Formats: sequence, C-alpha cells, structure tokens
Amino acid sequence: MLKWGSRRADLPQAAPPAPPAPADAIVTSKVFPHFLAAVAHQAAPTLLDLGPVVGSNVSFFGERLACKLHVEDLYSDVEAHARRGERAALAGFFATRLRQAPDSIDGILCWDLFDFLDRQAGLVLAARLAGMLRKGGALYGSFGTTAVELKQYTKTVVVAAESLRHRMSPATPVMRTVLLTRDIIKMFDGLIVAESVLLKSSTRETLFRRP
Amino acid sequence: MWKRDEAVKPGVPTDGPRVETPRSSGSDMVNTGSVGTIGKSVVIKGELSASEDLTIEGQVEGKVELKQNILTIGANGRIKASVFAKAVIVQGEVHGNITATEKVDIRDAGSVDGDLAAPRVAIADGAHFRGSIDMQAGAGKPADSKASGDAARPVVAESAKPGASTAAPATGMASAPAAAVPSHTPSR
Repeated sequence: MLKWGSRRADLPQAAPPAPPAPADAIVTSKVFPHFLAAVAHQAAPTLLDLGPVVGSNVSFFGERLACKLHVEDLYSDVEAHARRGERAALAGFFATRLRQAPDSIDGILCWDLFDFLDRQAGLVLAARLAGMLRKGGALYGSFGTTAVELKQYTKTVVVAAESLRHRMSPATPVMRTVLLTRDIIKMFDGLIVAESVLLKSSTRETLFRRP
Repeated sequence: MWKRDEAVKPGVPTDGPRVETPRSSGSDMVNTGSVGTIGKSVVIKGELSASEDLTIEGQVEGKVELKQNILTIGANGRIKASVFAKAVIVQGEVHGNITATEKVDIRDAGSVDGDLAAPRVAIADGAHFRGSIDMQAGAGKPADSKASGDAARPVVAESAKPGASTAAPATGMASAPAAAVPSHTPSR
C-alpha cells in the first residue's frame, strides 16, 4: 500500500527564510532644517562633514547649497584607534588631525561622533571645531542621553531637510559617553546653543551658532 | 579510431584553462576608435595630455590633462597626479586633486585621496573618498587649474615589456619632448 508522503521526513528541510534585514531607520529631525537654513544664508558656504562620505549627501548639499564640502571621516579614525586599543590617544590625535584653518568653515556636521569619544578627546575636538567656524557659522550634532554600550556606528543619509536615514555599521563596542547639556555647552566654548531638541530616541539634537 | 594522437586544431575551443598571452605587437597603448587606453603594465611619470577620451589601467604620476574629453581610471589604474578633464570616472585609485568641467564620478570600487572640483560629483556607495568637494559656481573651470601639478616633468612613458613602443603619436596621448629619455621601471 502506498503511503503518500512517507519519505517526506527524510528530505532535507528547507532552510528557514532569513530574517529580513532591518530597514534603515528614517528619523525626523527638527534641528537639521535650521542647520541648512543657517548655512544657506552664507554666500558660497563651506561645509565640514565628520562622517563617512555619502554620495547622496554630496549631491544634496551640492544642489541645495552649492557649497564646498570637506569630508573628514573621523569615525574611521575612532574605529582604527579602538581596534588598536588606543582610544586614550584620540585626544592627542584630534589636536592635529584636522587641517582646516581657523574661521574657514560655515557649517560643521558632527552627527553623533561625540557619543564615541571620551571626555578628553571630546573637549579637544570641540575646541578645534569651534575655532574653525566662521562668524555666523553653524554646527550640528546629536548626543545620546543614555549610558549604553554602542556596537554600531550610524551613517546618516540626508533624505530631505527634515528626514535623515540612519544606516548602521558595526563598531568596536564602547560605552557611550553621556554628557549633560551644560557640559556640552561648556565643551563648545565660544559658540551659543541656537536649538536643542530631545527626541523620543533619547537623543538630543543640538545646533550651535558662532555669534 | 578514437584519433587520440590527433593534434588539437587551432581555433577549436577546448575545455581546459585558457592562458592569454601578450600580444606580439608589444604596445600597451592602443587606440580603439576615439578612446585611447593605457595598459596595465604602463608607468608614466610626467605630464600626460590628450585630445581624445582616455582609459588608464596603468600607473601615472605627475599631471593628466584632457580638457575636452572623458578620462576613465580603470579598476587597475593607479594615479598619483593632478587630473584635469571634462569628465572623470574613477574605478581605480587616485592620489591627487581632480578638476572636471562637467562631472566627477567615483564608482563603488573607486578610491580618491584628494580634492574634487566639478559642478557635479557622484560618489557611489562603497567608494572611498577623503578630501574636499567644490561644487560652487565656477568649480572645475580652467581658471581653477592654478593648483595644477607639482611634478610637471617631461613625459616618460614606460613599459615593462622590453622593446615596447611608448606613446603612439596617432593617439595624441602625450606631448613628449624628443629629449625625454625613457627609464624602464619594472611594474606589476
């Protein structure tokens, strides 16, 4: 007597479908549009992006601002130091890393870089950045407010003025440096806080201006 | 009856691995229509200019100038030079500044360490770039070429192949002074 399907159990099981790759999160930014407006106000502005190069961002800034854009991927420097176990050396490294002249930049994009730096490295970098800004220039950054272990870097892709897409890439784990708002303000001595918004993701977006 | 000893007829494809041999012409610079190509084994030190589209798969150090044409740096291309062209497509490596009157396009395997000046810039995901990008009005115009190369020496087109001919005059590749003495450098 035939037993339909009797050998089915012997057949190799099909591999379970792979879980879908997590979609890039799109976040709404309340501060970034103001950063763009501040930079657009300058004639032939110069931007400094501290994140990895993103082609679509280059196009966005080129079309929107017709600017000169410096790309200095400090995340890769942080990761290189972390892999060598030399995070403590970042403060000294940042003292000479950026070659831009003082008062030469109209807009600086820090993204969430300061979450990955210890206080000393953050202080040194912030002082360098504040000195680079021209009068009326703007600096955009986001600062996490929860002390968690960071295992991923965020590559920010500008979708529109108020929409940012976050793409994750693996990072050498590190505890986030949580800075109080007053510490952040002190760190960027010489700049004033033009906007500061706490997002639902417990991230504080901040826009600094040089008076 | 099986004709085991019968020699394989030339031109008949075989299943075994195929080995490509260098062409007997010995030249790594070829002109295919209006596009010149600098082959993998060519090393050029000095100033390279052309009035036709050019693909570089070899190594160039110094300055590359194709004001009215498209320059493609192929996947094997290694450039340490200031580059001026109408449009530049980067699939290989460039160390130096790139100025284009129309567009710079860095493809996903491309790598640029230097400054870009062009009205339009495209950088693919996965491409490496470090430097500045100038897309302001007038970027890439010839006036910007003041930052041209540092090593504008006479052209020395070198080939790893002994006896290989260098820049073909028909391609209009390089304005090499007659006194330029080629010094052969082993390349990859």
